[in-house]
Amino acid sequence: MAETIFEVKNLAFTYPKNGVQALKDVSFRVEKGEVFGLLGPSGAGKSTTQKILTRLLKDYGGLVRYRGKNLREYGDGFYEDIGVGFELPVHFSKLTAVENMDFFKRLYQKNIDYSSLMERVGLGEDKNRLVGEFSKGMKVRLNFVRALLNDPEVLFLDEPTNGLDPANARIIKDLVWEFKERGGTVILSTHLMNDVEELCDRVAFITQGVIREISTPRELKIKHGRREVRVEYHENGRTKDKVFPLDGIGDNPEFLEILKDGSVETIHSGETSLDEIFIKVTGEEISHE
Amino acid sequence: MNKFGILMQDEFKRLAKYNIIQVSLGVTVLWLAVLFLIGRNEAGAFIPLFIFMDVSMMTMLLIGAGLFYERQENTLKTLMVTPVSTPAIIASKIVSAVYIALQSTVLIALAGHFLFDASINFFALIPFVILIAVAHAVIGYLVSMHVRDFTSMIAMLMLYMFIFAFPSIFYAIDMIGGGWETLLIVSPSHAAMLMIDFSFGAEGIGTLTIIGVVYLSFLSIVLMRFFVYPKYIETAIKE
Ligand SMILES: Nc1ncnc2c1ncn2[C@@H]1O[C@H](COP(=O)(O)OP(=O)(O)OP(=O)(O)O)[C@@H](O)[C@H]1O
Ligand SMILES: [Mg+2]
Repeated sequence: MAETIFEVKNLAFTYPKNGVQALKDVSFRVEKGEVFGLLGPSGAGKSTTQKILTRLLKDYGGLVRYRGKNLREYGDGFYEDIGVGFELPVHFSKLTAVENMDFFKRLYQKNIDYSSLMERVGLGEDKNRLVGEFSKGMKVRLNFVRALLNDPEVLFLDEPTNGLDPANARIIKDLVWEFKERGGTVILSTHLMNDVEELCDRVAFITQGVIREISTPRELKIKHGRREVRVEYHENGRTKDKVFPLDGIGDNPEFLEILKDGSVETIHSGETSLDEIFIKVTGEEISHE
Repeated sequence: MNKFGILMQDEFKRLAKYNIIQVSLGVTVLWLAVLFLIGRNEAGAFIPLFIFMDVSMMTMLLIGAGLFYERQENTLKTLMVTPVSTPAIIASKIVSAVYIALQSTVLIALAGHFLFDASINFFALIPFVILIAVAHAVIGYLVSMHVRDFTSMIAMLMLYMFIFAFPSIFYAIDMIGGGWETLLIVSPSHAAMLMIDFSFGAEGIGTLTIIGVVYLSFLSIVLMRFFVYPKYIETAIKE
């Protein structure tokens, strides 16, 4: 059985300053080698959860175990193990990309040679430019490189593809995938369905500080998806569409007739996109209040 | 190299990149130029005053500004998730503040000693300047972590100077009378002024100087432990 990396039980957190109860009851486990997604709308508590797991917030209720040991018992050595990719740019703007990486790199015992990674994320040419001159997407990519500097076992990513064009988002996703293939564990928070669908082994839906559901992206689709088929076909020179139930579709005469007479233009299975599930799960919860 | 050494090295590198060391040196050169303009006979009286202004006000301003930049860049947060302890990070910043203060002090004091015949007790001056720099760096940090933007930081520092530093300067140049002495002792600036005056052989202020030393030490520790340290962590993790 895989080793449990994080075990989170009844996590609760209130920001002392404004009394906002960001987390009410959050429990989940993250196993070694998986990509675990925290998915939820803005303000749900994703970043707060990550900040607790990365020991930035300490006055939480509930229990967090990292590799079987209470997270509170770890010292700064914990950070040798993990890499944290923040949502916002976090570099010295008057230093070049290389100077930034060299600075952070020396704080760790274990290092990677980051230059090939820098090339991979398309910053090879700009590595000697001041980070202050970087575009937003370039800073996001540099954040990602920085998170991997110490060759971590666990990678935390907060909205890793936010602000990236599709090509660069692709590269980051590939790198996350490769990290996982090497045995790494990833905890990723996002509100982008695309990221979840492509990257996550399991995903926790979180809204208003409570986990509503933990599942695989596939199970979610099956569970919340409509079991139906939508067919577009032409009839008398006009395009029409009709929806058929998936159950017993092989014996549905009307459906078979459309197939046979060759008038079909498109067929879509009715599996709901995760986008719709997101709105359904999170939207429902909001309207309950 | 150990982690603290690395932090120190990088702290200095950044102070240079952000022109903080250069600005500090530039200001020192200005002080020296003014001393020459004042002329050999009169300059001696101004040396302690210039050292005071440099070590208290420039430290606050430069160190406050440095931290303010870092705050804006979110790099404090990045450091929080590396295997270096927060006290080590803060300590590296305080040490760099002390370095900048000492650099100016030594230059002005050496000029005073060799060119303006000032009598200086270096064995008092150097440790006193270290203490003054630490206290004012701590105050500078506190201010820069509590303000929203650069303008309000400058405004806060100016306010601080009006309340604490200027009365001591007025007192030093006899613009306000001796009756204020007891009131001024609660001012970190005045404690600093006393300590520097003492190093320049001022007489009859031994007891007050000791009170000043105790006060600044106490103030630095309390502000650091109960205000700067927790506020630093809060500031660092905030998005
Ligand atoms: N530093 C803070 N101080 C006070 N309240 C905060 C702070 N950070 C977050 N909150 C509050 O806690 C709640 C959860 O915020 P959190 O940042 O965890 O959400 P999120 O799921 O990451 O949202 P997003 O998708 O917008 O990043 C929100 O109501 C937010 O207003
Ligand atoms: Mg967030």
